[in-house]
Amino acid sequence: MKVQKHKRHTGSMASQAQQNKIPSAATQRLPIDARTGEPLAPRAQPGYYPGYSTLRQQAFWDEATRQMVLARVEQVPPIRFFTSKEAQLMQAVCDRLLPQDDRDEAHKIPILNYIDDRLYNRRIDGYRFEDMPPDHEAHRLGLQAIDLIAKHLYNKPFIKLSPHDQDAVLQTIHDEQPPAAQEIWQRMSIHRFWMLLVQDVVDAYYAHPYAWDEIGYGGPAYPRGYMRLEGGKPEPWEVDEQRYEWKAPPSALSDVYRLIGGVTHDHKRQTPGQERTH
Amino acid sequence: MKFPLFGAFTEPKTEKHHMLGPIQKIDFPMRRFEPDEEVDICIVGIGSAGGVLVQRLARAGFRVMGIEAGPFWDTERDWVSDEAGSSKLYWNDLRITGGEDPITLGANNSGRGVGGGSVHWAAFTPRFHPSDFHVLSSDGLGADWPISYEDLKPYYELLEKEMPVAGPAYFPWGDPHGYPYAPHPLGGVGDILVEGCSKLDIPVVPGGPVAILEGSHGDRPHCIYRGFCIQGCKVGAKQSTLITHVPDAIRQGAEIRADSMVARVNLGKDGLVTGVTYVDPKGHEREQKAKLVIVCGYAIETPRLLLNSACPGFENGLANSSGTVGKYLMVQIGNVVLGRFEQLVRMYKAPPAHALTEEFYETDPKNDFIRGFAIQTVGPLPIAFAKQMMAAKGAWGWGMRRVMMDYNHWAALGVLGEILPWEDNRVELAEEKDRYGLPVAKVTFRLHDNDKKIAAAGVKKTTEIMQAAGAQEVVQEARYAHLVGGARMGSDPRTSVTNSFGQTHDIANLFVCDGSLLPTQGSANPGLTIQALAARTADFIIANGADLLSKHPSIISFSSTPVRQDLSPPEAADKGVPRMK
Repeated sequence: MKVQKHKRHTGSMASQAQQNKIPSAATQRLPIDARTGEPLAPRAQPGYYPGYSTLRQQAFWDEATRQMVLARVEQVPPIRFFTSKEAQLMQAVCDRLLPQDDRDEAHKIPILNYIDDRLYNRRIDGYRFEDMPPDHEAHRLGLQAIDLIAKHLYNKPFIKLSPHDQDAVLQTIHDEQPPAAQEIWQRMSIHRFWMLLVQDVVDAYYAHPYAWDEIGYGGPAYPRGYMRLEGGKPEPWEVDEQRYEWKAPPSALSDVYRLIGGVTHDHKRQTPGQERTH
Repeated sequence: MKFPLFGAFTEPKTEKHHMLGPIQKIDFPMRRFEPDEEVDICIVGIGSAGGVLVQRLARAGFRVMGIEAGPFWDTERDWVSDEAGSSKLYWNDLRITGGEDPITLGANNSGRGVGGGSVHWAAFTPRFHPSDFHVLSSDGLGADWPISYEDLKPYYELLEKEMPVAGPAYFPWGDPHGYPYAPHPLGGVGDILVEGCSKLDIPVVPGGPVAILEGSHGDRPHCIYRGFCIQGCKVGAKQSTLITHVPDAIRQGAEIRADSMVARVNLGKDGLVTGVTYVDPKGHEREQKAKLVIVCGYAIETPRLLLNSACPGFENGLANSSGTVGKYLMVQIGNVVLGRFEQLVRMYKAPPAHALTEEFYETDPKNDFIRGFAIQTVGPLPIAFAKQMMAAKGAWGWGMRRVMMDYNHWAALGVLGEILPWEDNRVELAEEKDRYGLPVAKVTFRLHDNDKKIAAAGVKKTTEIMQAAGAQEVVQEARYAHLVGGARMGSDPRTSVTNSFGQTHDIANLFVCDGSLLPTQGSANPGLTIQALAARTADFIIANGADLLSKHPSIISFSSTPVRQDLSPPEAADKGVPRMK
């Protein structure tokens, strides 16, 4: 059984930033330490649970789960659905929809590959809204629309834009106010496309143990289970929260919560890939 | 590798048995009927209802076969303690959904594989209230059932023992009753529901009713509070028909053909069904002859199968002379109200289902709507929660990262609101075909005025409870839960598909038995009621077997049948004493 080793990160965020010289172009993309105003250097594990590692608990997982989670981490699927041009564009879109600039290279989660794998294998969630094309077509159309909006607003393809301008392009879709690609929005619902995009990136990101460590989630829990149910208390192998205040990178537009299309969520806007609750 | 209790646990895999949890097994091979052998009873779909039926009917001595579209699970090998890895439990084949307020399908409300949706239900098991059975008479909307609460009550008691259900000694709503197993300890979300309700003087029940073991039971260990109920309970603590009824069915000589998709129910020249045509695991079309067929495919696949079985004499779908097959489809208002707390909650621990209030369930003349809602704990894992933040707050990018870093500070409560049966909410066939070449289901749904008012009232009350419990921020995701109707029972053959036992009005040896029978649904999770109805249908078929399996079966109109207490699986027989007798 392989046990993944993780570096423990200690010390204040600011001192890390000072130790690692950050090129100034990159600082635009990095979140900011709210106390010092300095950029937070990329690291293995952002979040409020330093030193917490779900993978380190894998001896306590059942075999089927261990194999599945380790395969997710170690056997990243190749890009087979997107063309190389599309993959470049989709990568840039993923980088803004679920930015990972605060993660070091070794701990970035390959969101694009998991989405590609789903679309390549035509895995669906059991339903398609009547105002939507099949998921794999919706993604292709959506990429075209994103580039059309980029060209309309900035006269450049999306991948050539600054993070700020990329956010601005995506925000027009989030707000359901696209300035271009109207013929594509005739063919598919814009809010459903937006939710499809976001759900695909969160499906990929929050399925990964690195993301579980970031948010302090327990991960697989069979056959051991939990003992401390009440009061948000950690199990002996979990860690206490250690909060720090941070601001989104100066370039970002996505740290402000705005309702999709400016509308309170209602039953007309059911999400693709909806999980069960009750 | 095998470290009992607290370590990794790998049982050697053999062809000889399937593990159902860490201890319980089913021995194989099971009985195999010959390819051209006619069985007494063929059950299409081994889920909540089909699982109970196959067990009861096999124990009563019928030659019974279940055909299931999905796999026969080995829970140790096939299931994982992982959110993203559990998608195979759901019905993921294409369906088209539309209408003004379209419903989601897939993971939210449909299962595939032996045990069906019961393998991934959250396992809340409230009974319906007596008032649920006469909504039309009392409130002027909706429908009346052809039976009363009293007809179903003995089956509620029976199934509560067979599952068994953990819950309070005194459950105050509807027909007050108690539960055979003690309530569960509360998780973080339950604490918040109890706290908020208590501050507002709203009665609330902690620790159940849920079909999750609070103590060990036969070969089933008790709950370990890992919070993966909706991903399939590897522990075997949460009830599914896969672990409570199917093992007994196989011991009693039933056969279950898994990975076999029924394409149509066949009608003979004498107007009786002769069996089904299905696609076997290798893709070959096969016929299974049966004297009686019970369709248990749930609220989408049951109507779809009947519609796909249209034939001369039944051009609009089998057993559809009323034109109601596929109509009166219902989901429940399932809005999730999410609150952020200063303190940590860690809502991934403990079963999502563990506390509720039904204080707002009944029609209240003070409201401008009829019927009502329940409020229940839910416990979304990270991916589900991220999608809720996308919907409720419009989160993406750094905003998504930020709110997800606060996952452990959030709690989620589910509104469970009654949507009334409306004719225009329906299942039809789409143009598109599935991998078997069968037209897929097209679902059309819209909320009517009363439904929208219940949703708004439910969200408002739940928000007040969240705030009373100390939430700093409260947001909501509008959504649905569950799925029933589509082949409803009724006393009038012109407006319903079956009688109260699921026997179709049109064809004496064709039954429907699953959630699609429900004429209305209350604000209670439907799982217990579906299994209770299945036990009642089984008793009816057993009591009238000689007639129903004869060459000239009758359509039977009376509404009572002897309750067979002696057909419970042996693990459950005589165990558990419901209080408040």
